[in-house]
Amino acid sequence: MYGWAGQRLRVDLTKGDIIKEPLSYEYRKKWIGGRGFNSDIIYNEVPPEMSPFDPRTRVCFGMGPLNGTAAPSTGRVTVSCKSPLTGGFGDSNMGGHWGAEVKYAGYDQIVVQGKAKKPVYIWIDDDKVEIRDASHIWGKFPRDADTMIKEELKDEDIHIMLIGPAGENLVRFACTFNDVYRAAGRTGHGAVIGSKNLKGIATRGSGSVKIAKPKEFFEVCNRLRQRFKNDPMKLALNEYGSLCLINYANRDGWLPWKNLQWGGTPLANNMSGETHSKTVLKHREGCYACPICCGRFTEIKEGRWAGEYFGGPEYEHSVPTGPRVGIIEDANDIWHNARLTNDLGMDGIETGAVISTAMEWYQRGLITAKDTGGLDLEWGNEDVVDQLIQDIAYRRGFGDILAEGASRACDKLGLGDKGQYYTIATRGMALPGDDPRGLGFGYGLSFAMGTRGGCDHLRSLCCLELSGALYPGLNTKYLGDERPAKPTTTVGKPYMVYYEENQKAVVDCLNVCCFTTHWSYAVLTQDQLDYFNACTGLDLTLEEFLEVGERVYNLERAYWARLMSGAREDTVPERFTKEPMPQHVDYQTNVGATLPIGEMLPKYYKYRDYEPGTGFPSERKLKQLGLDYVAEDLKPLRKKYMSEAEKKKKKYYY
Amino acid sequence: MAVMTKQQAKKFAEMSDFFLDLLNLLKDKGVINNEEHRVFLLIGYEKLVEHLEKKKVISSKDAKNAMKSGFASLVYSLAK
Repeated sequence: MYGWAGQRLRVDLTKGDIIKEPLSYEYRKKWIGGRGFNSDIIYNEVPPEMSPFDPRTRVCFGMGPLNGTAAPSTGRVTVSCKSPLTGGFGDSNMGGHWGAEVKYAGYDQIVVQGKAKKPVYIWIDDDKVEIRDASHIWGKFPRDADTMIKEELKDEDIHIMLIGPAGENLVRFACTFNDVYRAAGRTGHGAVIGSKNLKGIATRGSGSVKIAKPKEFFEVCNRLRQRFKNDPMKLALNEYGSLCLINYANRDGWLPWKNLQWGGTPLANNMSGETHSKTVLKHREGCYACPICCGRFTEIKEGRWAGEYFGGPEYEHSVPTGPRVGIIEDANDIWHNARLTNDLGMDGIETGAVISTAMEWYQRGLITAKDTGGLDLEWGNEDVVDQLIQDIAYRRGFGDILAEGASRACDKLGLGDKGQYYTIATRGMALPGDDPRGLGFGYGLSFAMGTRGGCDHLRSLCCLELSGALYPGLNTKYLGDERPAKPTTTVGKPYMVYYEENQKAVVDCLNVCCFTTHWSYAVLTQDQLDYFNACTGLDLTLEEFLEVGERVYNLERAYWARLMSGAREDTVPERFTKEPMPQHVDYQTNVGATLPIGEMLPKYYKYRDYEPGTGFPSERKLKQLGLDYVAEDLKPLRKKYMSEAEKKKKKYYY
Repeated sequence: MAVMTKQQAKKFAEMSDFFLDLLNLLKDKGVINNEEHRVFLLIGYEKLVEHLEKKKVISSKDAKNAMKSGFASLVYSLAK
């Protein structure tokens, strides 16, 4: 077998069963890997009505056929579950080296189900798989747990997936790490892993990945590596990491200031990639087989956090507990907050979002110090942010309420629709630190349509409008028009989002880093097909390849449909549609902009072939994609969704 | 033979999102079939232009212009 290892590892923590299941040729061709394998398992094995913390629920770790090969940036792993944050479909992916190691051990996917009686970790040593006691590492930060497991197994070179204390404490936006600092941040699977009493999965693989056509494969890889040498986004990401976006975001008015009330701050340069590199950058590091190497390591040298050292931060990891909560004067506070969310094992985006939402409730008098246990939630109050991050992770006091995520916290506090207005979330998940009134209207459309909830900057990842202008002709190549490269226009955006969602889904099935295929467009769709075919020996056409992405996308959309989530929930926070972007920076380019989501949605539905009333994938589309069983599942639900009883329900999460 | 009138081409050139409508028109005119409609929606504009050139619906020069100047150029070629 080429590319794939050819088997799934299933671990049942209740029964202690370890099962290896072969993955058939047809199955691999239909789903490719990663997100595709995982979405199939979640759809078929986790009923929508099941609690995310039910021991029978699944958490999946999906690798792709290219993981462990020399193709650029092929170290990613997709983690999927029924999200405890949204109640709907959830996944996230991470870089690092663990995915490649799992492939070398001989597995394309790991599915964990059941619940251990006491804390455990899984030890995969090629074909030997054990469930081991983790009582002594329960409660530890990932960085400490990683060291302890390596010492215990007497091997410094193994790679380990871990959760932090937040996952153990069932914080609904707890996340997962591998190689200590590479995080799969979103949708809260860390809490699902914690609910199973699973601390992590340590892996040693001594095998290899066989390539079907080595000559062709290495020709593609070499061609791509040459292209990376002068790629503009690669150069920026290597030099400054994703913090290279800070000044750009500030100029174009999408840097979130105080819960996205504004799109920038005059002091943004304090935390720019340029400033970070000059002041606290310790060194750079790349994930497996990566020609970009965007990873940073930070050492705070002065002030109250002096001596702190950690991997990161990224843009989306530092902005939420920085400008989103009104902190910008001392960037060391921002780096510290990022370090803390990492160590505690929480999604930085949701952590910052829930704190900034609470701050806006406080600003507007919806809550007072009585509700917060005496905490003064003034914008920019670093002492309070530092304390709240810890209180959320350990579920103490007001932090226990915020650990539920912004939408649920709003309900727990009884703030009603007024409170929900400020949650800046869709389908129960907070939007990332990117205001679509400046970032781009395509992104705005994606935020409404993302199949993992109120994300998503990583679902359609329509960088054709973010970095498209750096690649003249690229928008024309795919969309037939250069005008969509302008962020704040609706021109061409429905098709852009449709195209990019399919394209990103197939990239997530390959488990290739999107910095090579979207932010940077060094690896185009045809290149992806070329290395996939050469690696696996398959001979997929471009349409068969992209159809896998469309299939995955529709399957995930159908999961939401089974939860009665459809057209009425395809919205963005009203702030973006009702509040013209105010000016906060002299040179800001998007003053007065609102997001015209209504102009784009009907056309987008037509591209997707979604039913106009329900927003569910049409029966025709599902059958076309070989998802006949899904079409059957949705049949009785279409009428139900349109019933008066359903129309009256307000659904902020599921 | 022209696939569309100059007036239609003008209308297309002014559209903010044209691709689906163009594929629908090409299907209605019998230039592409149902399956090709589905495929080009998935794989994008460049492949459509290549197909139209291969089928001699547009000339090589028109195809080049369609890739250089985008769909506004293509629709006027289809109106020739």
